[in-house]
Amino acid sequence: MLVQFYNVSKIYANGIKALDDISLKINGGEFVFLMGPSGAGKSTMIKMLYREEVPSRGQIFVASRSLVRMKRKEIPALRRNIGVVFQDFKLLENKTVYENVSFAMEVVGAHQRDIKSRALEVIQMVGLQGKEQSLPGELSGGEQQRVGIARALTNRPLLLIADEPTGNLDINTAQEIMELLYDINRKGTTVMMATHAWELVKAAHKRVITLDGGKIASDITPGDLKLCH
Amino acid sequence: MPLRNLAYFFREAFKSIARNHLLSIATVSTIAMCILILGMSVLITLNTSTFLAGLESDVEIMAYLDQELDDAGIKKVQEKMEGLSGIESITFVSREQALQKMQKTLGKQNYDLESTLGKNPLPNSFEVKAVDPHDVPELALQIEKINGVYKVNYGQGVVEQLFSTARWVRVVSLLFIVLLALGAVFLIATTIRLAIFARRKEIYLMKLIGSTDWFIRWPFFIEGIGLGALGSLLSIIILAVAYGSLLNKVDTVLFMPLVSGQDILINLYLSLFAAGAVLGIIGTGISINRFLDV
Repeated sequence: MLVQFYNVSKIYANGIKALDDISLKINGGEFVFLMGPSGAGKSTMIKMLYREEVPSRGQIFVASRSLVRMKRKEIPALRRNIGVVFQDFKLLENKTVYENVSFAMEVVGAHQRDIKSRALEVIQMVGLQGKEQSLPGELSGGEQQRVGIARALTNRPLLLIADEPTGNLDINTAQEIMELLYDINRKGTTVMMATHAWELVKAAHKRVITLDGGKIASDITPGDLKLCH
Repeated sequence: MPLRNLAYFFREAFKSIARNHLLSIATVSTIAMCILILGMSVLITLNTSTFLAGLESDVEIMAYLDQELDDAGIKKVQEKMEGLSGIESITFVSREQALQKMQKTLGKQNYDLESTLGKNPLPNSFEVKAVDPHDVPELALQIEKINGVYKVNYGQGVVEQLFSTARWVRVVSLLFIVLLALGAVFLIATTIRLAIFARRKEIYLMKLIGSTDWFIRWPFFIEGIGLGALGSLLSIIILAVAYGSLLNKVDTVLFMPLVSGQDILINLYLSLFAAGAVLGIIGTGISINRFLDV
């Protein structure tokens, strides 16, 4: 079991209830879509996984470690096992593709000799070989997201979290990014992807968790998907 | 902290200084001005307090003895004075020695004091030095009470004024130095805050990727220390050249001898350099935790 939520609720300081008694389990190696309208609690849930947010009530375990009881100085070790991909890519504009990727290893204090070989390896994995020296501004949206994915993969995470990774991309490019994510999942990395894009989800035949008003509205595994819609 | 990270920290600090080079130049030169004024006021304080300490240590008590006191009585008075705490030295001055001294100061040969006066009018006395000159007024009171002492003189009035002047000079210059140091800290804090703000997106990413807080902090501390040290180095060069050339031309200002000991000056310059670095650490410390709470 990679991720466990037990009766997790989150009430923000302004009184807004983002999550309401959520319980779920995600196994290692799964590919899970997280769906739901804006404000349903997807972002809160995702932020809890890498402990940017903590629950007001309940327990969360990632790789058998409690995130609620986790001390501040233990957080970096957790985050090194989690790769995050963002809708707006969050690339450093003044750094090249290679630097954006190697940055992820540099800032966790990796050896210089490991950095180079691993960075080139993941750049190739996402299909950007030859673009190592390009700046993000010179790349298309799809290519920029590939850099974002490469960066998230650099430290060999157990869990890859993608928050609306195709939200800024056209449908063809989105499809390419999905193929890349499936490929990563096939190689053993657990992937959790929040999205609005029903077409992508429908075609995927993967587990879909739907949130609504901070509660789990449905949790459908691949075999059951055809029952829906 | 592994050595391979050290290279990264210095590279990042240098890049940040270069990226915000205009602000860095402004910070370094303002810190240089601050430390320069700081150094100048320390030098002025050093000189005045050395001068004042010299004046203070010159303060001594003259205890005049009763004319009728015989040798045994004198010995008794001396023993009683030696019993007081805080006394550095006691020197007996006989009436003959006192007269000779007076004769000397008046210009000797022209006229013979003893024959003019008929007899020696001066009393026997003791010159008393205190370990701490500030104890002089209190000691004088105690000595005055000893039987056989007829009068005590230590420059009453003048001495108290000297002490209070010295105290004020010290308080005011300390205040001035503290204010300037605060100014320098504020500047460094602002520069580092802007440097952190410029990199907030990068810092957020670093946190999410799993950087430790110290891994993120180190480059900023190095930047702050670097700016502080660079500024103080600049001011030390200016100060050393200016004070050195002043010493070459004159050795007193307004009758005040200038401090010129090489080791004192080197200590001062080293302290100013360390002060610059410490101000850098404090300034960075004030700003550093912004944007780290992710």
